[in-house]
Amino acid sequence: MPLVRGAIYAAIGFVIGAGISLGITNMTGEDAQEPLIVLGYVFAVIGWLMGVGMWKAWGRNWFGKSTDLNPSGGWERYLRFNIDHKVIGIQYITSLVVVFLLAGILAMLMRAELADSGQNVFTKTTYNTTMSLHGIMMVAVAVATVMGGFSNFVLPLMIGAEDVAFPRINALSFWVIPPVVVLLLLSPLFGGFDTGWTAYPPLSTQTPVGGLLFELAFLTFGISSILGGMNFIATIITQRAPGMTWGRLPIFVWSVLAASIISLTATQWVAYGLLMIIFERIFNMVFFSPPGGNALLYQHVFWFYSHPAVYIMILPAFGAELEIISHFSRKPLFAYRWVVRAFALIVALSFVVWAHHLFTSGMGESLHGPFMILTELISIPTGIVFLSALGTLWRSKLRLKVPLLFALGVVFNFTIGGLTGIFLADVATDIALQDTYFVVAHFHYTIMGGEIFAIFAAGYYWFPKITGRMYNETLGRIHFGLMFILYNITFLAMFIPGTVGMNRRVAEYPPEFESMNLIVSIAAFGLGLSFLPWIYNMLNSWIRGKKAPDNPWDATTLEWQTTSPPPLENFDEFPVVTGDPYGYGDETVTHARFGKPAHSAPAEGD
Amino acid sequence: MFGDAATTQGEFIDEAFTLLMVMAIPIFTFVVTMIGYVVFKFRAKSGDLEDAAPIRTHTNWVGFWFAWTTILCLVVIVHPGYTGLIELRQTKADEPDLTVNVTGRRWQWIYEYDGRGVSLFSKDEMLILPNDSLIRFNVTSEDQDVVHSFWIPAFRMKIDAVPGLMTYYDVITTETGHFNDDVNFRVQCAELCGRDHSLMFTRIEVVEPAEFEQWIADKAG
Repeated sequence: MPLVRGAIYAAIGFVIGAGISLGITNMTGEDAQEPLIVLGYVFAVIGWLMGVGMWKAWGRNWFGKSTDLNPSGGWERYLRFNIDHKVIGIQYITSLVVVFLLAGILAMLMRAELADSGQNVFTKTTYNTTMSLHGIMMVAVAVATVMGGFSNFVLPLMIGAEDVAFPRINALSFWVIPPVVVLLLLSPLFGGFDTGWTAYPPLSTQTPVGGLLFELAFLTFGISSILGGMNFIATIITQRAPGMTWGRLPIFVWSVLAASIISLTATQWVAYGLLMIIFERIFNMVFFSPPGGNALLYQHVFWFYSHPAVYIMILPAFGAELEIISHFSRKPLFAYRWVVRAFALIVALSFVVWAHHLFTSGMGESLHGPFMILTELISIPTGIVFLSALGTLWRSKLRLKVPLLFALGVVFNFTIGGLTGIFLADVATDIALQDTYFVVAHFHYTIMGGEIFAIFAAGYYWFPKITGRMYNETLGRIHFGLMFILYNITFLAMFIPGTVGMNRRVAEYPPEFESMNLIVSIAAFGLGLSFLPWIYNMLNSWIRGKKAPDNPWDATTLEWQTTSPPPLENFDEFPVVTGDPYGYGDETVTHARFGKPAHSAPAEGD
Repeated sequence: MFGDAATTQGEFIDEAFTLLMVMAIPIFTFVVTMIGYVVFKFRAKSGDLEDAAPIRTHTNWVGFWFAWTTILCLVVIVHPGYTGLIELRQTKADEPDLTVNVTGRRWQWIYEYDGRGVSLFSKDEMLILPNDSLIRFNVTSEDQDVVHSFWIPAFRMKIDAVPGLMTYYDVITTETGHFNDDVNFRVQCAELCGRDHSLMFTRIEVVEPAEFEQWIADKAG
């Protein structure tokens, strides 16, 4: 049982690392506790990875021994180091659904606390830890569910590949996620951390051990993102089927490529920032804490990643949204080339807008103007995405299935998210609104209304391909209706406390703001309950749903041209791409034909 | 924004907020109308398996879309963007009527009325400020402390209190007011600073200048 072996090896690794650390701190006379945890954790992760199957599938190779990749098997293949991108995709999705539900329960607890102005559910510190955990867990869900989960499963299929470029690195990217979750869940037992997911020093260098666990978790998650981004870039460049030219890539693939570039390059910055915080803690080095350090430096480093990170979340959401809108409109994607250009522009701009998070930080005033202008310019490429969505819908033959409903939900919600973003890009209004509930409502409109709705759109859309079974359409509609309405009540109402003077990240607030918070809380509990039909639908349909045909949506892209679920190396017959992927209503365009059986021809990109 | 702004800067910010709202609502309405219309109008009848006509792009529409998004973007950059920067900076070179040195310390604020021999150390004391005055707040945080943010909701202004760094903002007060009448007459820490972050606030009263002079003379004496 690889999971048990992984846990045992992790424990052994921890003891070894802790032992080495104790030896060193004994010599240097430093405080032993935190170095012990860090070094123990590093060895524990290595032990964990080797135990869950990395040694068998990869490690033996380093010592000239034969490896056993064995990607096939029954359900137990999901519970070990497995190099099949489809298995890894399902591992990501199911793990992150669990994280999503846990973080959702934390949100319910927060809304219970905030339903009235006093202190009732939590102590002050536990509220802050709860809020911080909710934040980082949802960030992980938003970053990795589409990128690690759905694109892992469908992207190689969409480009006609047998797998990703580096299947073993792909498995590694997933298997460092469980340590992240374990650390985050352990953190409250070790004093928690009351810094928010942003972890600004000096506060974050002074938290209990729980804070150190969070910083290690975030750093580990960053490594997973960096490796994942690199893998997708390499896959899209090298693994495309013959004839899959750049102009024939489905838009979802473009969006993943764009997000992967950010994921590979920007994530390294936050990794350095967190590493420096950890070094401050365990080596008493001085980077961010005065005297000697500069607290603002971290904020720049952090947002140099964390602003682009929102595009790691939203670009694949746009990709999935447009993909679904085109297929369910039975119409080619409107202004395809302009959307690709818009994605490229968003990637470029995403790197030069970070300091709009710092208008009230005390950074030089000369930076305000440029960062305001650059931030507002992002509305132009984002507008192109809306043009494409609306242009595709115009004069379409809309099939109003659940995936399309969620995709339209993304368009609706992101309109609010994008427009309220202007208020925060403008320096004057941002100085009033920064760190209030207006910001909280805004980013829930972009991240939840955009990315999480897109996750559900993608989830319903690819469910038949992933599981080989159909979901229940009626339950899906009920889920959409409840979630869409209650989501909008919750977060529209949340703008109000922000504009009347309620700051974020507080357990207590002036009683004047009580009634509006009560409305938000009640709607939020309803929103929480709206996921029940979804959970039931997914579980029940996966087990008992009716068998899905290969192409239930009658869609053109390659993932629908193989069986549901696809065979081990994806295609029984090898695809040769002959036209663009959105040839609806155009008989001169065929996306692909299938010729020789797979494996008789070498897989070649162009 | 809701509630009265009590400074000229705050009035500008409220007008900017209203203007952005006026611009945002038609765009939102347009998108929602479009979604509603296409769902109503272009929904495929059940059993209709035909594809739609393959319209791939439309040069004029793309150009038009580019034009209006760019124009709107430029408008917002100029006003309230650029004009806002000028508004917030306009008092930079002026000599303030009152300077208050503010220091953040977990979890309270310490105030020193610059050159007036008055400091407020207790969390329970009210911060008294004069109306119709240019007030400069010099803000920092103690060396071993953490980042706070000095926010006065009624003034609409905030700036972080960073250890090792001196920040400031100016306001010109335009209204008298008291915390008991308007909860936004308070200094509230707006940057998460640990356990008692939510309670790190000071009540404010803005009084007429004569009354202020009386108060500070009594206090100094």
